[in-house]
Amino acid sequence: MSQDEKGRSGGSPAPLAIEVDGLRKRYGDHEAVRGLSFGVRAGEVVGFLGPNGAGKTTVMRILTGFLPATDGSARIAGHDVFSDATAARRAIGYLPETPPLYPEMTPASYVDFVARLKDVPRAKRREAVDRALERCGLLGVRRREIRQLSKGYRQRVGLAQAIVHDPQVLVLDEPTVGLDPIQIREIRALIRDLAASGNQTVILSTHILPEVEAICQRVILIGRGQKILDQPLAELTAGGVSLEEVFTRVMTRDASDALEKGAA
Amino acid sequence: MRHVLTIASRELRSLFVSPVAYVVLTLWSVIAGTFFLASLYGFHEQQFRLQQMQMLDRLETLNLNDQLIEPFIGSMWVIVLFLLPAVTMGLVASEKANGTDELLLTSPISIWDIVLGKFLAGVEFVTIMTAIAGFFPALLFFYGDPELGKTLSGMLCLWLVSVTYVAVGVFASSVTRNQLVAFIFTFVLLLILGMMLPFIVDISMSGSGIPSESPVAEVIRWMATGSHVDRMLQGLIDTSDLAYYGVASAIFLLLSKTVIESARWR
Repeated sequence: MSQDEKGRSGGSPAPLAIEVDGLRKRYGDHEAVRGLSFGVRAGEVVGFLGPNGAGKTTVMRILTGFLPATDGSARIAGHDVFSDATAARRAIGYLPETPPLYPEMTPASYVDFVARLKDVPRAKRREAVDRALERCGLLGVRRREIRQLSKGYRQRVGLAQAIVHDPQVLVLDEPTVGLDPIQIREIRALIRDLAASGNQTVILSTHILPEVEAICQRVILIGRGQKILDQPLAELTAGGVSLEEVFTRVMTRDASDALEKGAA
Repeated sequence: MRHVLTIASRELRSLFVSPVAYVVLTLWSVIAGTFFLASLYGFHEQQFRLQQMQMLDRLETLNLNDQLIEPFIGSMWVIVLFLLPAVTMGLVASEKANGTDELLLTSPISIWDIVLGKFLAGVEFVTIMTAIAGFFPALLFFYGDPELGKTLSGMLCLWLVSVTYVAVGVFASSVTRNQLVAFIFTFVLLLILGMMLPFIVDISMSGSGIPSESPVAEVIRWMATGSHVDRMLQGLIDTSDLAYYGVASAIFLLLSKTVIESARWR
């Protein structure tokens, strides 16, 4: 796996799978995202890090076409999320913060429903559904009602839904929030597998630092709607500094900057 | 179109997993049966009385269509107004409450796919309701000789009213995430559309001094469902009545689409 990673980050640059340029989002008076720009290369696994309320979910919702941006642009696999929305959405697999599940359905029928929505060709649908269920370890509960499943399993169903159409880009919004430590480890292993086996680009948001260290190759840190830091994980933690120290340092510096600005 | 069917079939399956669908269909069957029996006894009694009083000319004009089927369907469309909100309240509201709207709105489908899918699921449900109600008049064909055309026209009327009310229900369900609010809103809209418009005209006109034959009053009366039911129940299928159901459904579906679309801009 490490060789693979090196090949990705060190070799000739892959095309950009996610391009965000000058993104702004305003809710009434409050500006949640203020001129954010970044790019993610195909095959990269990027951690989108920031404290609660930093604008992570908003950015992901814009990327997936759920919310329109106030200004700026975002492209997924070369398709603008606004003007070429259908193509962009087809290229995306999205797990929102709360998995969008129908409690009365079974994982099998639910993932099949999503496969239909995402235009998986009829001939390949059954295979795609089975594969998604298998990769997420859901074969044993495929005929149970989703409402009877534990939170960890529901999260897996949410992941299965996101990968069923084999998207180029996977957007995961806090995929391990609210899970117990064992479930967290399982979901992380799953995401790592997905990233390693497919050539999927993954962007996952979190405010849990070890998560980034466990899964990601690169970190994009945002605070109050702006990019604070964008570096490969290896560079960041070089010299034995843990990500937590970097994070705390950056965030407190950011906070004191804000205080100074407010005072001036 | 494919996506419309996908959404409709999922919705219909979910409806039949919940108890609401069965409660509504049971109530509907019981009410239809009761009303039908009542109409049947009424008809029988009328016939008996006319025979006793030797009013043969009146007896001649007595027939199953006008004295039984028509009042039966005429009361059933009012029942639709009370039961349907329970079916349609969750159509869009539950997606928002579940967070599944985020799935639908980030899928490569259009908002029309969502609205029409929900509408189609509701239409399929009221088709089942109409079929159940139709079972009773159909019985009469075994024992009597009602006019087929007139009966079918009445059933078509019941179905069209229900379909129009589904469109209203989709709209009311799309303005909120709370199913109870959606239920009440649908019910109020249907009460106004179905029953209260003529009274509103009468009351407001009598106060304002505008003659009750003024164009405004005519338009408001045209908007009431009641003004498009009677002729059809009597077997007269008028294009203006058909247009009413088409236009009303289209308006409410367009409103639903606008509401769902605008939600992401707020």
